[in-house]
Amino acid sequence: MRARDNPFSSDRVLRVRFKPLGTTWDAIFARLGELDYRAAIVGPDGTGKTTLLEDLARPLNDRGFNTRWVTLNLAKRKPTRDDARHAFHDLTKRDILLVDGADHMPPREWRSFASRAAKAGGLIITSHVEGLLPPLLHTQTTPDLLAEIVGHLAFGHLVPPPAMFADLHHRHAGNLRDALRELYDRCADMADEAHPGVRK
Amino acid sequence: MTMLELALNDNRTQYLPNEVISGLASWNLGTARPVVELRLSWYTRGKGTQDTRVERKVPFDDPRARDTREFRLPLPDGPYSFSGRLISLVWQVELVAGTDKQTIEFTLSPTGQEILLAGIGPVK
Repeated sequence: MRARDNPFSSDRVLRVRFKPLGTTWDAIFARLGELDYRAAIVGPDGTGKTTLLEDLARPLNDRGFNTRWVTLNLAKRKPTRDDARHAFHDLTKRDILLVDGADHMPPREWRSFASRAAKAGGLIITSHVEGLLPPLLHTQTTPDLLAEIVGHLAFGHLVPPPAMFADLHHRHAGNLRDALRELYDRCADMADEAHPGVRK
Repeated sequence: MTMLELALNDNRTQYLPNEVISGLASWNLGTARPVVELRLSWYTRGKGTQDTRVERKVPFDDPRARDTREFRLPLPDGPYSFSGRLISLVWQVELVAGTDKQTIEFTLSPTGQEILLAGIGPVK
């Protein structure tokens, strides 16, 4: 199976949007307002923190805010000079900073960043841990959510039996990104076994 | 209602390095937008993080709200379109007006066809 044909390719997975579990978009935005748009999306890897942050951007734009992104990770733990210029140049109350991976910043760096962000209309971050900002929402996943996402991605292809979703979800500790990567390999294996030496 | 259309001449979707890709771009945007442009780019698709590179951006001069323009874009000598089990590299031409896009994919290689990596067999 060609990578481009695999229903679990990363570009298809990235098009899956956030689905609130046990809450609603109205409740999320009400909470965001209560927190004066300074809040953290908290949760383990692969549970939708980045997806939720992305999906907040357009509604924030619709409410008249400009959003400015900073992305951090294990390989890039501090904002670069360009990041800082992008984030803080001419910052006003109409701007909201969205920082993905804020907990990667060393404590001193975070305090400095948060202090400079005081001029903004808001600061919304993702983090694996609590404590940086008041929590907006704790992300979580379920086997049913995984099944729903797989059903959407794998439409027209073979879908795993329902019992497999609970096992997948458990083995990957709720990390849907890793679960979907396993399904990528399984799908490729199944296609190759069904048609050895032939590409679909 | 916004409408964007792209069509390649002769519906051709296979190209050799350094050839010219040409066609027609049409749009009806309701109101004129400051920038309507063509982008020549490639991206990866597969298991890992997606990479993308815009090789060329060509804005149309004075785009009207409703318009049709011919385009001719010289293609680079690579990278080649390919597919393996873990990654595919895909070329595309995009017509972009703000957040609205229309895309056509094509292949670029010394044979015009997508290069298949080991383990990926011929088309059935």
